[in-house]
Amino acid sequence: MQLFWQDLVNGLLAGGIFAVVALGFSLVWGIMNIINLAHGAFIMLGAYVAYVMFTAWHVDPFLSLPVAFVVLFALGYAIQRYIINFVVRAPILTTFLLTFGLSLLVVNVALLIFHGDIKGIETSYSGSNFSIGSVTIAWVKLWTLVAALAITALMQVFLTTSRTGRAIRATAQDVDAAQLTGVRVAHLYAIVFALGAGLAGAAGVLISLSYSIEPTMGDPFVITAFVVCVLGGLGSVQGALVGGLVYGVVETFGAQYIGTGLQDAVALVVLLVVLTVRPTGILGKASA
Amino acid sequence: MGGITGNAIVVRITAALLVLLAFVPLLHNSYDENLGRSVLMFATLSMGWNVIGGYTGYVSFGNVVFFGIGAYTTAALWQHWHSQSIALSVACAIVAGVAFAVVLGVPILRLRGHYFGIATLGIALATQEIISNIDWLGGGTGVTIRQLDDYSAYYYAMWAVCAASMLASYLISRSKLGYAFVAVRENEEAAAVLGVNPTRYKVTAWAISAAMAAAAGAVFAGANGFMDGPTAFAIDNNVFPIVMAILGGVGTVAGPLVGALILTAINETLWSHFPQIHTLFFGAVIVLVVVFLPRGILWLLAVRGGWKGVLASVGAYRV
Repeated sequence: MQLFWQDLVNGLLAGGIFAVVALGFSLVWGIMNIINLAHGAFIMLGAYVAYVMFTAWHVDPFLSLPVAFVVLFALGYAIQRYIINFVVRAPILTTFLLTFGLSLLVVNVALLIFHGDIKGIETSYSGSNFSIGSVTIAWVKLWTLVAALAITALMQVFLTTSRTGRAIRATAQDVDAAQLTGVRVAHLYAIVFALGAGLAGAAGVLISLSYSIEPTMGDPFVITAFVVCVLGGLGSVQGALVGGLVYGVVETFGAQYIGTGLQDAVALVVLLVVLTVRPTGILGKASA
Repeated sequence: MGGITGNAIVVRITAALLVLLAFVPLLHNSYDENLGRSVLMFATLSMGWNVIGGYTGYVSFGNVVFFGIGAYTTAALWQHWHSQSIALSVACAIVAGVAFAVVLGVPILRLRGHYFGIATLGIALATQEIISNIDWLGGGTGVTIRQLDDYSAYYYAMWAVCAASMLASYLISRSKLGYAFVAVRENEEAAAVLGVNPTRYKVTAWAISAAMAAAAGAVFAGANGFMDGPTAFAIDNNVFPIVMAILGGVGTVAGPLVGALILTAINETLWSHFPQIHTLFFGAVIVLVVVFLPRGILWLLAVRGGWKGVLASVGAYRV
């Protein structure tokens, strides 16, 4: 039973990161129908922002969160505005291929600049942890979860209360109607992609605290983002949060009870079951 | 472009290119032979993907699973029965691949669009993990396969698999089956109303797709001489065929081979001239092609009005 609680806590702590990983991916996919394969590359860039800030100026990674968000936001805006917008109305495969090419570009530019060796961030509090009963919790993971929840909440507030947020949700419902009411779609799409990239950057900072940093580190998280979006339901902030936490728990239990090599397979089998039983996700609406 | 077969002249030129590829081993140059076999393998995978993703419009992100199953069939035949026969392993691989496609296809092909794509990706990843954990199939260490003394046999086998796949793609595109696939792609409900059973045709398309990929995998495993999870289910074998089909022209007969030839040529040229940054260039090439030729290279031949027509259509999908 002690192991059960420890796994549950570990799963939820990991799930917080997965929620932020999926948040931006879900936004871009839900609003523009783009499967952004460069999402992992943006996560990697976010991790390097944290790494550079930490090694060059001893800035705590948690303080790098806004910096990474702004840097990736600007990059994302430019990419959507000057590249993706040219083909954004094309069939889904076109943008799929385009973001694949962008991902190769970004990862290989990073490889040129940072080289392929594995780096890590070792803070003064990296090794410390505390216990509640028999459950041990690392401080880093707890603060990561807190930051993840804060980012998710901020995103929800932004989308529901701000003028831009309402324009984004209106565009998701009906592009043409939104355009008629004065939404500048090209600009708005660029904002959406920029938000997606900025959130990926923030996720990268959080990931840099517990994972090793190298140019291809982001690639597996694209698949995580996929799975989380499907689990939680596409295009909603709550969906990404619930999906992320569920995925974290399922993966941790899978590793514990079925085998370390098989945790991804377990998570993917759960995904297939969810897809077959409830194709719109746990929180998704009944019709897609 | 006429129907889904595509431009008839292009199909003939592509078929002629394929015939020329049959003579590569006569050059007695192992570099050329390996490169040629790689083109044929990717073209076959791309043609397989094109049947489900292009003709039928169900974009699969996990077709590498059939390639992997085919490759492991060869590995298992050598490991447990010491069989080096290419024909036997291709035959067994096709049976295994089709069986897997039919069993999984019935539930999975109910899903549409992205959800189908993700489900197929999930299947590919899960299958790799599961197979890598089966000791009978070499587990995590993999299987070493003894190769035939006549190494060119693998080349001719891959050529035969590719030629058969192209012939099948051509015949399908001109048959009632092909029209049913396109009907499903264009409007599944309307197709169902008109008496086309969508599930049956989707599963058929996926099974054909699986047979092509599995056959290519079976030959590849022999030529490679070693098989483990990461080799059999390599991400490149999943993504490159899709890129090639799009580059050549999705849903056309000639597109996959044209795409495979062009992409391999670009990749090799960049690799030999800029080894440090060739992947970076490769990414840039993909971005440029997508922005300027979103409908593939073969589509250029169908544009009216010469260069003005091409320029006018750039940005046809912009906001």
